Amino acid sequence: MKIRQLLKQYDGKTVVDGVSFEIPKGKVLSLIGPNGAGKSTVMGMISRLVARDAGLVEFEGKDIKDWKSHQLSQRLAILTQSNHIQMKLTVRELVAFGRFPYTRGRNTPEDEQIIQQAIDYMELGPFQDRFIDELSGGQRQRAYIAMVIAQDTDYVLLDEPTNNLDIYHATNMMKIARRLCDELGKTVIMVLHEINYAAFYSDYICAFKDGKVAKFGTVEEVMTKETLSEIYRVDFEIQMVEGKPLSIYY
Amino acid sequence: MAAHTAQRANHRKLLVLGILVLLAAAAYLLVGVNVSNEKLFWYAMRLRAPKLLVMLVTAFAIGGASIVFQSIIQNTIVTPCLLGMNSLYTLIHTAVVFVAGSGSILAVNANLSFAVDLVLMGVAAMVIYGYLFHKTRHNVLYVLLIGTVLTSFFGSIQNTLTRVMDPNEYDALLSTLVASFSNVNAEILLLAVMLLAGIVVVFRKDLALLNVITLGRNQAINLGVDYDRCIRRLLLAVTLSIAVATAMVGPVSFMGLIIANLSRQLLRTYRHSQLILGAALFGMFTLVGGQMVVEHLFHYAVPVSVFITVGGGIYFLYLLLTNRRV
Repeated sequence: MKIRQLLKQYDGKTVVDGVSFEIPKGKVLSLIGPNGAGKSTVMGMISRLVARDAGLVEFEGKDIKDWKSHQLSQRLAILTQSNHIQMKLTVRELVAFGRFPYTRGRNTPEDEQIIQQAIDYMELGPFQDRFIDELSGGQRQRAYIAMVIAQDTDYVLLDEPTNNLDIYHATNMMKIARRLCDELGKTVIMVLHEINYAAFYSDYICAFKDGKVAKFGTVEEVMTKETLSEIYRVDFEIQMVEGKPLSIYY
Repeated sequence: MAAHTAQRANHRKLLVLGILVLLAAAAYLLVGVNVSNEKLFWYAMRLRAPKLLVMLVTAFAIGGASIVFQSIIQNTIVTPCLLGMNSLYTLIHTAVVFVAGSGSILAVNANLSFAVDLVLMGVAAMVIYGYLFHKTRHNVLYVLLIGTVLTSFFGSIQNTLTRVMDPNEYDALLSTLVASFSNVNAEILLLAVMLLAGIVVVFRKDLALLNVITLGRNQAINLGVDYDRCIRRLLLAVTLSIAVATAMVGPVSFMGLIIANLSRQLLRTYRHSQLILGAALFGMFTLVGGQMVVEHLFHYAVPVSVFITVGGGIYFLYLLLTNRRV
């Protein structure tokens, strides 16, 4: 997946300015950066949720604009942070929606099997008949991940998956993201606020500043004192923990 | 499986509702009718049957439109009426008579007049509401606020038109304008039924998409739904259904709100085919039962819409008070 010269303006103000990078297949990539750096907007444009003003998002040799929406939805899944449902929907019914791109709502026994596997994988068995709005934030997030697993795509995009979660659930969420890549072979792209989660759980980091890519590279390449200090404009120290460069900022 | 038992329970609930509607319909047709005298019997049927049909069709149109509309803007305490779709229809109907004159074929032929109104309504509503939704990015509060303003705006224009109109023209217009459940526009019944059947056939597939749309815009797009196009299509269906209902029985505010929410409360599902059916059945039962009470108990002293508005108002307050997040 290649991103070329993406541009987005809101009311004449440029929020994403000529962003280009390539998404390595089968790896975990995190997009980080200060507020307003344009990382979420870039994510939105990659996933076709946000219209772009210029540039190219090339997926398997074809611009995502030229993909049929339901075909793209069999290859690429996006999970955003705002998910309010007015409906009475059980966990199982939500996960079943993951099969919609394939079946248009008419699930076969094989689909049911995939749905069950997704529920089991996320350890949601005991909750599967509970209504979504009766779950805790962490459980709800897992239900959505199960839906994405049922959607069975090569690429999974997660927009701030740890938002509104406490440390326990956020860390679990990151482990799940890692497992999506390691166990299920998916390419995972995340927008993260927490730098150390990005450092510990991803393979590559793309750091944004002022709507531009400030630094793209492996975790070791991006997680340096100089780079981070320049991007965030605060002092950083880097420490190795379990072989990963983690940052301390103050 | 709990999900399957819930499904079966819903089917049973809908079946019970259906039987209740049938009983109410039979009672409406037969109460107080002299069955032994064939002539009198058929005379009563000729009077009652079209009215009954109009009520059933209206209930379906309003119930379906309300459920779909609520799901589109993801809020269960709105109805298309709050956006002024009724007033828009009344305005268009008045404007056509005003421009063409009450003697013209457009006003004299009920079916033709209805068809012209519908086309104009479809176009006007798509432009106005399509733009409104797009501009406010489906923000419910703005949509409602602007909708309320639009309701009085359309109402005022319509009022102005009737004031500058020739009194004779106005008189002719009035008979088609103040349709109510006691004075239904049965002339257009056939066209209305055909239209609604057409809507059901054309938009049947969109109902599966509507299930996904209730997950929100982002999820819908993620799952491969062409969101904007789908919303536009569904909005057109809502508009036409409201136009059909308004043309036959005049504006009924609150009706859609009550039946849609009763259906949601009873069925507790995301499946729109069931929700719409439930709302339609609730609507049929309310209308037919209510009309029976009006005709036989109150002897036409109080129109059924008064009951619906009073009952609906109270139910609306109840929804506001019990809903944690509106």
